[in-house]
Amino acid sequence: MSHFFRRAGESDSESSESEDEEIMSSEEEPPQKPTTTAAKSGMAKFLRTAAGSSSSDSDSTDGGETDSDEDPQGESGDESETEDRPQIRIISAADKRLKEMETSSQGIDNALRINDWVAILNEFEKLIRMVQRQSNLAEMVPPFFIRSLVKLESSVNSTIQKEKEAKKKMNPSNAKALTAMKQKIKKSIKEHEIDFKRFQEDPEAFQREYLNHVAQVAPPPPTSTIRPPITTGGDVQVDDFTTVGKGGRAMQLTSEGIFKHLQAVQEARGKKNTDRAEQIRILELLVDIAATTYQRIRVLLALISSRFDYNSSVSNYMPTEMWLSAQREVDQLVSIVAADSNYSIQEVTPDYDELVERSPTAESGPVCIRGSIISFVDRLDDEFTRSLQNIDPHGTEYVDRLKDEKVLYCTICRAQAFYEKTSQNDPLARVIMRRLEHIYSKPDAVVQALESALETSEIRPSMTLSQSGSSTILVHALCVYLYKSGNSLLRTRAMLSHIYHHALQNDFYTARDMLLMSHLQESVHSADVATQILYNRTVVQLGLCAFRSGLIKESQSILQDIFTTQRVKELLAQGVHQQRFQAAMTPEQEKAEKQRQLPFHMHINTELLEAAFLVSSMLVEIPLLASIDSDEQKRKVISKPFRRLLDFADRQVFTGPPESTRDHIMQASKALQDGEWEKCRDLIQGIKIWSLMPEASSVKEMLEKRIQEQGLRTYLFTYAPHYTTLSLSLLSTTFSLPLRSVSSIVSKMIWSEELSASLDQSAGVVVFQRIELSRPQQLSQIIAEKVAALVDQNEKTLDIKMGGTGGWGDRGEGGKGEKRGEQTQERRGRGERTRGARGGARGRGARFSQGLGNQMPGQAGQRSA
Amino acid sequence: MAEYDLSKTIIPYLDRHLVFPLLAHLAEISTFPPEEVQVAQYELAKGTNMFDYAVSLFKEINPDKEVPSDFDHKRQNAVSTNERLQLEAQAVLDVIENPDVAQALRQDKNQNLIYLKDNYGLTLEQITALYNFGQFQYSYGNYSGAADYLYHFRVLSTDNDLNISAHWGKLSSDILTGRWDVALEELNTLRDAIDNRSPATLLAAASAAANNLPEPTLAQLHSRTWLAHWSLFVYFNHPQGRTLLLETFLSPTYLNTIQTSSPWILRYLTAAAILSRKVAAGVNTAGSAPISSKVRNAIREVVKVIQTEEYQYKDPVTAFLKELYVEFDFEAAQKELTLAEEVVGNDFFLSEFKDEFLDNARYLISEAYCRIHQKIDIANLSERLNLSPEEGEKWIVNLIRETKMGADAKIDLGKNVIEINRPPLPVYQTVIEKTRQLAVRTQALGVTVSRAAQPQAAPTNNTKPEPQTPAVAVN
Repeated sequence: MSHFFRRAGESDSESSESEDEEIMSSEEEPPQKPTTTAAKSGMAKFLRTAAGSSSSDSDSTDGGETDSDEDPQGESGDESETEDRPQIRIISAADKRLKEMETSSQGIDNALRINDWVAILNEFEKLIRMVQRQSNLAEMVPPFFIRSLVKLESSVNSTIQKEKEAKKKMNPSNAKALTAMKQKIKKSIKEHEIDFKRFQEDPEAFQREYLNHVAQVAPPPPTSTIRPPITTGGDVQVDDFTTVGKGGRAMQLTSEGIFKHLQAVQEARGKKNTDRAEQIRILELLVDIAATTYQRIRVLLALISSRFDYNSSVSNYMPTEMWLSAQREVDQLVSIVAADSNYSIQEVTPDYDELVERSPTAESGPVCIRGSIISFVDRLDDEFTRSLQNIDPHGTEYVDRLKDEKVLYCTICRAQAFYEKTSQNDPLARVIMRRLEHIYSKPDAVVQALESALETSEIRPSMTLSQSGSSTILVHALCVYLYKSGNSLLRTRAMLSHIYHHALQNDFYTARDMLLMSHLQESVHSADVATQILYNRTVVQLGLCAFRSGLIKESQSILQDIFTTQRVKELLAQGVHQQRFQAAMTPEQEKAEKQRQLPFHMHINTELLEAAFLVSSMLVEIPLLASIDSDEQKRKVISKPFRRLLDFADRQVFTGPPESTRDHIMQASKALQDGEWEKCRDLIQGIKIWSLMPEASSVKEMLEKRIQEQGLRTYLFTYAPHYTTLSLSLLSTTFSLPLRSVSSIVSKMIWSEELSASLDQSAGVVVFQRIELSRPQQLSQIIAEKVAALVDQNEKTLDIKMGGTGGWGDRGEGGKGEKRGEQTQERRGRGERTRGARGGARGRGARFSQGLGNQMPGQAGQRSA
Repeated sequence: MAEYDLSKTIIPYLDRHLVFPLLAHLAEISTFPPEEVQVAQYELAKGTNMFDYAVSLFKEINPDKEVPSDFDHKRQNAVSTNERLQLEAQAVLDVIENPDVAQALRQDKNQNLIYLKDNYGLTLEQITALYNFGQFQYSYGNYSGAADYLYHFRVLSTDNDLNISAHWGKLSSDILTGRWDVALEELNTLRDAIDNRSPATLLAAASAAANNLPEPTLAQLHSRTWLAHWSLFVYFNHPQGRTLLLETFLSPTYLNTIQTSSPWILRYLTAAAILSRKVAAGVNTAGSAPISSKVRNAIREVVKVIQTEEYQYKDPVTAFLKELYVEFDFEAAQKELTLAEEVVGNDFFLSEFKDEFLDNARYLISEAYCRIHQKIDIANLSERLNLSPEEGEKWIVNLIRETKMGADAKIDLGKNVIEINRPPLPVYQTVIEKTRQLAVRTQALGVTVSRAAQPQAAPTNNTKPEPQTPAVAVN
């Protein structure tokens, strides 16, 4: 046997795997042997069906696994035979195990002869493992094991003795194996002390006893082999079970029976060829049977975990029905534990006997049971997300699935209530984070719908919508709890969610201040990918919020960062990055990225995002373009993506009617350049995607106003050289702006020296003063500017370098306060950007893109390679 | 006007005793019903040891009621405590006032303590008695006495917490006694203490009530907020105060404090910026110390801040500047100015400066107006300035005379207009403007670098001077 394994799997791990499998196949009948003969027939039948459907099921469902399954099976003729006739396999497997053990002990004997301790160690380990299995199933330890144990012990001792005297030492690996052997033997002798002693006293009697035992056990299997396997669906089997089980039920109803089953299921867990569906069915039945609270908790714990185990592969998602029942069971579990404080489920508990019924009275105090509700809730939530990731978002199935969020949310809230009651802070923080993640990005109506489900549930968490009145307060309450909890990751995520929520509620200033004060932009590039994605989402939402609130410049500079990367979808986890020049990603990377994707309903519409960005770019860039008259200055670009599109549109010979959002915006930009603000407005307002904005009409109005203003500015910049005076009232009628705001805009331009002109109040006109610059003058101006910029830059660099010391010159104070100082710069920077908007965007922008750069470490590696 | 009254916002940041003048002011102006102010005064006095004052207030409020008897009891208590504390403090004072001792004392506090202990048997506990007595005196209104004791205590004590507390006490006493020079000095030392010391120890005095071990930075923010409020007393009473206020509040740390925790201070910042317009313009400051660029550009800075903080705080004073310099809406600015006039007149700190404020605000309006316009109707401008045409004309003539505009601006009385002939700035002028400061700034940069490089290792020295050189060369 051992030889076979060496051949089959080159590596140790594989050989042990297939070994496990072999053992498992016989394991479906573990309780069979120790039980009394009376119960045997019922039990055996029950287990037969299990085994029968196991082989058929595992073949049909686990398509992905067959590859690995078939390899060892194909080589062993014995095994492939069992595929056809499972009934034979059971017997042969039991025997085969024995045979295998025998081969192992023979191998040991052989190796002993040539003094190859490495081989002995190998074989012995194998043997021990098999014996372990054997004793787990409460089978007799075969006498030859004891015999070889005895033999080994003596030979080890003698070899060590010899080794001490010998001049020529063994080779090191051999010697090492020898010492390991010595310890192992000692250990296993201890384990089998009784058998060992009995064997030493009377080997013959021991042997006989074993044979007797085996003979006693042997008869039942043949009866079951005759019985054809039942391969029909679950219902039939359940019926089958109840009818057949009538005899065996008396036994099962006792607590001991339940625990035995539980243990059997638990042992089979995670092994190949275990029929998960069958296991779940067993456990479901056990739940009904369970009499005491303790039993129910135990069975539920096992049932929920096996439901989650149902899908082993990572890419697939849990079937909806399965998920729903898991969700119900988690609910059930929570309410049981919440109702009876005598039981508590903890991740770390003192050891207890799995097979014994326990009760608070016997334990004198609450009964601790090993398990973790929070991990169930986590898993439930993850599975939900995963299913949404996999379902086609445009089908009805997706919508149906989405409806389940309500019950999930309820479960999360129940768990929160439970943890609040038992005041377990760590899981409470986690569960609150889960809850927050469900509501932070949702509009009020959806939050209301989610929360309304809570009203009916009997246990409620301390924070609910009905209590707090508005979703903002609710989110605030949840976040504040998380800020106070110690976990920094949760704190960061809560902070980002909170900012996101504020941005969603159009509370731009609060959101912005929180983002700046959190200093996340400095540290986010070292955060995990999920948090970085959340950060990107938050920033983008903030940009949209600024847009909605009419803060065009802010919106432009915020959105700029993410659009210059040209990987918007990827950075928001709303689509996989298309590789253009590099080699494709490895499958693992692809898989990991797929898992990161947000479900569709969480997406921020990228087209809307682009429209907002391009329109705000247009409003910033077009007047700037108009104000520039020399080529040198033309290189000053605020929004590269916009400029690129504009240049592209310029090159086109024919322009058709606008189709896409981009077309609209490009043609609108052209119109704005020509001073036709009305056409520009119509084009911009004609973009269909605005309807996705919550306040579409007010946004459109705002845009109209901005277009009027910027149109006026552009007009003045463009046509100033051609006029000496221009009447204000004419301007006011052309751009249908009130006279007051026209003069305000013109005054502003004069004051900030953008326009060399002055107002003549009595005549109501703008008087332009045109200065023609000669080339040297122009150049000297440019150089003066550059030099000034250079000095500025130096001072800034020094500021940063000096850091804490501060106190040099006027600007030095910037570095004084450790954190505060930085914040000031941040704020100042912000201030400058809001006004100047030129060349600003450096500070935070750089950090932002750093954050992006680090996001895909694998890719970055590839790129640099 | 009650909506623009800041007393309520400011009071929580002041010491109980500092609130008395504020309430007295409120009693004078008629924004709030006098009875309510009186009740507030009484409530305030009840918490101090100034029983006579409290009793008199009580009588004023309830003329027909009996004075509560526990005042008498408390009073006796206070008197006895006073005697006890005085005895304790006197022992220390006797020693300190001894001229020999005064001479023997040195800079090093620890050494002083040892000296005092060795020669006169003074222990730290006894010195703390000074603090206690000072505090007690403060609580019954003997501010100058309190200032003295606290000063002596601070000279001797090494206890950081109590020292800071004594600082606050002394500052408050100085403010209440009206010794503005001393108070200013005290304010500056306290500010340094807050900025430099390890922040953990600061809060002790600042807000013992809210002291549930907050984070050090938070504590620092707290103390700074308090200091900003207290300093208003000093800055608006000291002759140089407004400029100093700009210096302090426009420094990044305090600007931040204002933005994060007390945006209403912006009113005083704005007012100060407007008030120190002349100083900033450098008209009358021939003899005084050179003013920093921060003060010179105060208005520009303040406008920026007002704009960013608009969503948090807005009142006629800030709105005036915003309308003037952001929106360039002179009509709106004029309206705001009318409102602001009243607000300033009613404000405890600003009321004395009402006329000056108005004067400067008008000046700002006309300056901006003239810069933008070429031809101005005098009647129109007068209206903008809230003046009658005659007054307006006088004002404008003065304006033209006072400023450098004289060369460009001419009044045409026939048409009743001012014509401003502002030739465009020649190109070389702009270049000179732009490059003017560069040499000095670069030098400052160089000095700092070399200063920084001395204690540290050489490498920083090598990297930094290089980028500067081109800048110098161009100059």
